[in-house]
Amino acid sequence: MTARVGQKAPDFDLPSYQKGSFKHVKLSDYAGKWLLLYFYPGDFTFV
Amino acid sequence: MDVDVVSVSVDSYYVHKMWNDNELGQMVEGGIPYQMGADQNGQMGREYGVYNETAGVEQRGRFLIDPDGIIQSVEIIGNPVGQNVNENIRQIKAFQFIRENNGKVACPASWEPGQQTLTPRPGLVGNVWKQWKPTLD
Repeated sequence: MTARVGQKAPDFDLPSYQKGSFKHVKLSDYAGKWLLLYFYPGDFTFV
Repeated sequence: MDVDVVSVSVDSYYVHKMWNDNELGQMVEGGIPYQMGADQNGQMGREYGVYNETAGVEQRGRFLIDPDGIIQSVEIIGNPVGQNVNENIRQIKAFQFIRENNGKVACPASWEPGQQTLTPRPGLVGNVWKQWKPTLD
């Protein structure tokens, strides 16, 4: 599946970090909500 | 503005923790409030078309997903230039406004909340110029 405007977002389920805890984050956590997904090249990069 | 954020890179959540604790926490009081996802094998990045196989990292990419799970907006840009957060916010507000109005309005170029929208209908064809003038700062 490839991401396209106007189509369903590809499902995901990733290990994650938030506020002192290791967690899992998945697309279905955000059903019924607006979600901004932000990819970036790497932690400790400069921009 | 009602929107959740998830960030994703190929870094492990251990590195996310170190970056949050040692650097980002110095810029954002209380640390990063959203989930920082670890896409270590790049699989999610491939499905979103942002994984750079040569460099082994994700391109800078932003996807706005609506409450039905539909992608409404995408921006993918080269590494050395950061996102325009104000533009992201503008687009979120515009797409939310359109959804609140059941998709019956359109937000013209550079639209900001409170500004004029257009209602697509047969009578508007060829007549947008009578109702709406583009402005440049």
